[in-house]
Amino acid sequence: MTSLRSRLCLAFRLALRELRGGLSGFYIFLACIALGTAAIAAVNSVSRSITDSIASEGRTLLAADVRFELNNREATPQELAYVQSLGDVAISTGLRSMARLPGGADQGLVEVKAVDDIYPLYGTFETNEGGALWPLLARHEDGRYGAVAAPLLLDRLGLKVGDEVLLGNARLAIAATVKSEPDAISEGFGFAPRLIVSREALTASGLMQTGSLVEHVYKVRLKAGSPPAAGIQQDAAQKFPDAGWSIRASDRAAPALSDNVTRFSQFLTLVGLTALIVGGVGVANAVRAFLDSKRTTIATFKCLGAPAFVVVAIYLFQILLIALAGIGIGLVVGALAPMAVAPFLAGFLPISAAPAIYPGPLALAALFGLLTTLAFAILPLGHAREVPATALFREQGFEPTRLPSWPYLLATGIILAALAALVILTAFDRFVAAVFLAAVAFGFVLLRLVAVLVAAIARRSPRVNSPALRLAIGNIHRPGALTSSVVLSLGLGLALLVTLTLIDGNLRRELTGNLPERAPNFFFVDIQGSEVEGFRRIVSQQAPEGKITEVPMLRGRILAFNGQDVTKMDVPPNGRWVLRGDRGITYSEALPENAKLTAGEWWAPDYDGEPLVSFSAEEAGELGLKIGDTVTVNVLGRSLTARIANLRQVEWESLSINFVMVFSPNTFKGAPHAWLATLTDATATPAQEAAILKAVTNAYPTITSVRVKDALEIVDKLVGQLATAIRAAAAVALVASVLVLAGALAAGNRARTHDAVILKTLGATRAMLIRAFSYEYMILGLATAVFALFAGGVSAWYVVSRIMKLPSVFLADVAVTTLVIALVMTVGIGLAGTWRVLGQKAAPVLREL
Amino acid sequence: MTKTIIELKKADLTLGRDAASVHVLKSMDLSIDEGEAVGIVGPSGSGKSTLLMVLAGLERLDRGEIHIRNTPLHRLGEDALADFRGRNIGIVFQSFHLIANMTALENVAVPLELANVRNPFDIARRELQSVGLGERLSHYPGQLSGGEQQRVAIARALAPSPAVLIADEPTGNLDTETGRQIADLLFSKQQERGMTLVLVTHDISLAARCSRQIRVRSGEIAGDSRNQPAEQAAFA
Ligand SMILES: Nc1ncnc2c1ncn2[C@@H]1O[C@H](COP(=O)(O)OP(=O)(O)OP(=O)(O)O)[C@@H](O)[C@H]1O
Ligand SMILES: [Mg+2]
Repeated sequence: MTSLRSRLCLAFRLALRELRGGLSGFYIFLACIALGTAAIAAVNSVSRSITDSIASEGRTLLAADVRFELNNREATPQELAYVQSLGDVAISTGLRSMARLPGGADQGLVEVKAVDDIYPLYGTFETNEGGALWPLLARHEDGRYGAVAAPLLLDRLGLKVGDEVLLGNARLAIAATVKSEPDAISEGFGFAPRLIVSREALTASGLMQTGSLVEHVYKVRLKAGSPPAAGIQQDAAQKFPDAGWSIRASDRAAPALSDNVTRFSQFLTLVGLTALIVGGVGVANAVRAFLDSKRTTIATFKCLGAPAFVVVAIYLFQILLIALAGIGIGLVVGALAPMAVAPFLAGFLPISAAPAIYPGPLALAALFGLLTTLAFAILPLGHAREVPATALFREQGFEPTRLPSWPYLLATGIILAALAALVILTAFDRFVAAVFLAAVAFGFVLLRLVAVLVAAIARRSPRVNSPALRLAIGNIHRPGALTSSVVLSLGLGLALLVTLTLIDGNLRRELTGNLPERAPNFFFVDIQGSEVEGFRRIVSQQAPEGKITEVPMLRGRILAFNGQDVTKMDVPPNGRWVLRGDRGITYSEALPENAKLTAGEWWAPDYDGEPLVSFSAEEAGELGLKIGDTVTVNVLGRSLTARIANLRQVEWESLSINFVMVFSPNTFKGAPHAWLATLTDATATPAQEAAILKAVTNAYPTITSVRVKDALEIVDKLVGQLATAIRAAAAVALVASVLVLAGALAAGNRARTHDAVILKTLGATRAMLIRAFSYEYMILGLATAVFALFAGGVSAWYVVSRIMKLPSVFLADVAVTTLVIALVMTVGIGLAGTWRVLGQKAAPVLREL
Repeated sequence: MTKTIIELKKADLTLGRDAASVHVLKSMDLSIDEGEAVGIVGPSGSGKSTLLMVLAGLERLDRGEIHIRNTPLHRLGEDALADFRGRNIGIVFQSFHLIANMTALENVAVPLELANVRNPFDIARRELQSVGLGERLSHYPGQLSGGEQQRVAIARALAPSPAVLIADEPTGNLDTETGRQIADLLFSKQQERGMTLVLVTHDISLAARCSRQIRVRSGEIAGDSRNQPAEQAAFA
């Protein structure tokens, strides 16, 4: 035991002594590990800083301890009494409407929030002009109401503070602009600029009509000694089972946002992990090259009587020390990341500006870095162990590589399993993580196959006439060729780049290129039954070519499936959105035009039995629903149970009116509701669209019109921001690839210097050598690009069509770009190194040996 | 009437810079006839290897001229030199200098491939058979003994049928017996093909087997003698 310890100590001392020789040859190793670790540490620290501040500032984000939200109806007196019994209650109302200029010259969509005098209960509402909120909203003597608007609205309508806008039937005077609204994030994503008014002003606007889409929010500051928020949630659900309110407590102020941040950071972590794994290839290359250069030293150690494991320990220690240095650098970068990005994110995400270090994410990154290093270093170490003492007596040269002995294989297997387990266990969506791992593993196998295949083809290729090409082909298949290391180092990074570019391209194509052609131009919301006729007349006057579609529109949330409470059900992530909050629902006599029945039958037009519902086939599949199951929904405070009669195929991406649930007409007999309409007119010019908008808004101030192009622009901007993050992550992976590639090529160049000089003594010209090397790099680059296009194409297809459920196409420009990148990188980096090889004077090299 | 194949006129070369600079060749004049076997001897550091490098066009003169087969090598660019070398000069080194990741056959075929000869592998195979390595065609250098590696190197030098064969201590890394075999091989090939052979050696008996011995001392020719034909025959 002591002898083992003393031997390990000896190994450690020898390792330090050897490291004195410097890090040359290890810089790429160091950089790869630092880069991958930094990426993972940074992404996770930033995401943790966001989710932490969501949790720690939950009260401010919610502006309450508990928040009750009711859709399209106010609380009943009993409900209100209950809420008020809990503590102070601030009541606010949110809806989407149009703000118009007094002359009717222009109008814009706004997100209205009507508040009372005690809003906000927590946090502070700040205006750019200063002063408390409530006095700003007061009613003026001339009958106008004060309002506070987002600066964007003023920009859009060309207004300044003090100017007047119309909201429904109310006249508003802009009193100030919004600087920060504490609870903006918990109120959901705003498509339009904010407009804050008093509840009195909103009542005066006449926008709150039956069936219009309005959120009534009751925010509670709990009395001292109240039970915990979770208890209140349960209590409220028990006392008012049919209220249909969604209750949120400050410990989970913005669950959807937290989920999305975590999900996105998980995605970026996987990208970072890819960078790390690509870096792992660099680690393996560096370790192999290092140990190759140590062959005589290893043999000497053995001749001097060092047992094999001591030799292995010496180099394992060195590798670990370098890896730790790289991990250290990565962790420093990762720890600083939240502070670095806070100023950029602060605008739209809650992120704490206070410097903080998140040990969890850093530990995770360190562990990933360490496991990756070990996973890639152990096999080359196993090879080194096999170096015979007799290596001293033979010229260094090619030796067939055998598999290392079983303990090394086993250790590598265990570490890989640990790495996989860590990836899956820390994943937000374990299935996606597992798919990712399978894809990377498959990618490795495929890359090996590509390398073997390229070498095999080169070996069997018929004799070509050009000596340069012959030399290149020979270089590709000979032992010690660069083929596998180049293909492996560039392949994964390039495949990831292709995947991400294709996903991004497909999303953009779907959002901006493809959609507007078949999508409607406008959505009109909150059309009252009495307004439908007049509305249709105005729109068809303005757009005679256009197609108007109207459907009844109600809001309801799903309470139960087959009598089972959905909040207690384990729902797969893809289906969760259906159950989250209120869904638009409708009823129809006939199957909607743009839908296809996939199972069951549609009801008769005059059907009058048990309420029936048609469910979207895909969502039903995800929720595990089938024909004959029952769905209980809460609509306007009433619980309704309907039986699933059929399943429909819904084309969500068409952006036309679609509902998850379409009920039989008798289900809502007599219930008040508004209408939703779309206008589709492929020929409408922007000027015509503006005219339509103006005509509808002026005639019906309470109808909210959403121009699809505007909405898409917002989505596009959002996607653009995400894409920037994704590209940054992909860039990290690509940089890792380039590093590894450069390392592999540099290692190759050392051997090449000797070969090139000898070839010159045998009559090779420089031009011929350059041609030979170029051909070789080109062939390798080409093979890698083909792999990357294939692997990236398949994974992008999987993500786009299977996870995002969008049509996926292969984009030709991505293919071209990939090819160019692959060739520029292999030929460029390859020749850059070879240049020096060629400039090498022959005499010194020949004297050396 | 013998023809001059190699001619060196006032060849002058200094290697290294500043403190480390060495005046290696000092205005050296030398001419070698076609078919001669020249042994170059001299103390270590006297400039023998450098002289060979100059003859092979691997080292450029500072001043002076070098002509081989009436081609002024000192005027050729690097690539033209390489091309000339590939066709006219075969080189054998003390430490073999085979390409590690090519088999024996591929190593021998390389100069032929570079010269775009039609069937390089057939010639390479024949050449290897003629040096007695017909059984080692697909061995890599690391799998061959020193003597075998040197025979591959000789086969490679001979494969393009050069007019001049240059060898720098070809037996220096080998034991006496193997060294003798390699020397036999070199001389028999030289005779057989009528090549000009220039070899550097520390081995007096090997130098004595050459038809002419040149003694170099600190960059100058200190002695030049020819064997009598009878004497030469006795060695052969
Ligand atoms: N690049 C260089 N820079 C400076 N000096 C050099 C360089 N290359 C060789 N020399 C010197 O030139 C001299 C001649 O070297 P060369 O190799 O030709 O000697 P040599 O006669 O072949 O010796 P040996 O018998 O030991 O092989 C030596 O003194 C050597 O130190
Ligand atoms: Mg020498």
